[in-house]
Amino acid sequence: MLTRRLLPDIILSALVLLLQTTVVEFLAVHTIVPDLVLIWIVVTALRRGQIPATAAGFSMGLVQDLVSGPDGMLGLSALTKTIAGFLAGYFYAENKTPQILGSYRLLLITGIVSLVHNALYFVLFLQGSGIRWTDGILSYGLPSTAYTVAVALIPMLIFARKQVSSP
Amino acid sequence: MVKRLYDIVLLFKEYVVVAFLILTSVFLLTLNDTAQIRVLRSYAIVGVGLMQNAVSFIPNYFDLRRENDVLRRMNLALSDEVSRLREGRLENLRLRQLLLLKERAEHRYVAANILGKNLQLLRNTVTLNVGSDDDVLPNMPIVSESGLVGKIISTTAGYSIGQLLLNKDLRVSAKIQRSRVDGIITWEGGPYLTLQNVARTDDVQPGDLVITSEYSAFFPKGIRIGVVNDAHPLPSSLFQSVHVLPAVDFTELEEIFVMQFQPDSSRIILEQRNR
Repeated sequence: MLTRRLLPDIILSALVLLLQTTVVEFLAVHTIVPDLVLIWIVVTALRRGQIPATAAGFSMGLVQDLVSGPDGMLGLSALTKTIAGFLAGYFYAENKTPQILGSYRLLLITGIVSLVHNALYFVLFLQGSGIRWTDGILSYGLPSTAYTVAVALIPMLIFARKQVSSP
Repeated sequence: MVKRLYDIVLLFKEYVVVAFLILTSVFLLTLNDTAQIRVLRSYAIVGVGLMQNAVSFIPNYFDLRRENDVLRRMNLALSDEVSRLREGRLENLRLRQLLLLKERAEHRYVAANILGKNLQLLRNTVTLNVGSDDDVLPNMPIVSESGLVGKIISTTAGYSIGQLLLNKDLRVSAKIQRSRVDGIITWEGGPYLTLQNVARTDDVQPGDLVITSEYSAFFPKGIRIGVVNDAHPLPSSLFQSVHVLPAVDFTELEEIFVMQFQPDSSRIILEQRNR
């Protein structure tokens, strides 16, 4: 029963991961790419709550770490996305899920979560590299957040349209 | 109890889950060996150190007990080491003095260690770790850096028995170094030797040095025997009683030398024949 309920989410999560690791590269603007995984985690948090979002963040982040190869840091995405999912879970409101998903609040929440996620990511990732983490956040974190929020417009519009079309 | 714990976990399940997943992620991060992780490790060490420092004022009974135990063991080991070092220092001093004695000497010496000592009877002896294989023969004098110890009375290939000055059977021809007064050193028990055959009129003062005399058939002249402690006229006698404090402390005796001095046998035979 639980598996049947979770199955669509699992399939969608895999699809998002696939998109993130393949298609998103072609959308890069000066090496800045949107974080589809993060948008999906926020959506999961707003639809399912804090624990599913935290678990989704950990598992999807772990997969990202595993596919990033020797250039990545195993556990870094898992950690940052776990915290992102947990943070996003605070915005979960059971009775207002469609309204939040179909409104600018999705963009706002995505922006906040993405900012925290990127800040944490770059603080950890740039240790010992000689690049100041503030520079990293300004050069990559903020543009990436802006791009992610911009892409989050798509699910927002989809949810808004669903909300309008549903009686 | 378990139910209560379960209720608490259930109440804070979000935090439990996130804590577990964060810990798992951090564990995965520690598996990396990158520059970032090394820096983060150093931060973690500093952080843990600061935290430990902050809570270090709280005494930990078990830690204190363990530390006490370790300190006690260390104390014991150090005491033992100090004792051995003191022993070594004293031995070093003794050996240095022995070496000086050896350098000054006109006779050859055989270094020996005392294996056994008997200082309780009137016939006190020592067992030495040298014997006839080391050219040690009966009647050879035994000396230490302080003075005359006694003489060899019997030997085997690897061992010998020494008769101490503190033995009522040993008699040594001696003289007062200052006044050249002659006498015979004997021992009749107690801490002092006795210089016998000293006339009432002879000049003997406390503090006078007593040495072996040239009249001795078994000992070369000039070996220190002791110091006059006191001299008293014997009642109804022409002689005086002279008590001599031995130069050698027999209780602390450990390393000694056997002086390879061979008495002139023809002289001994002649003296014995005319007695």
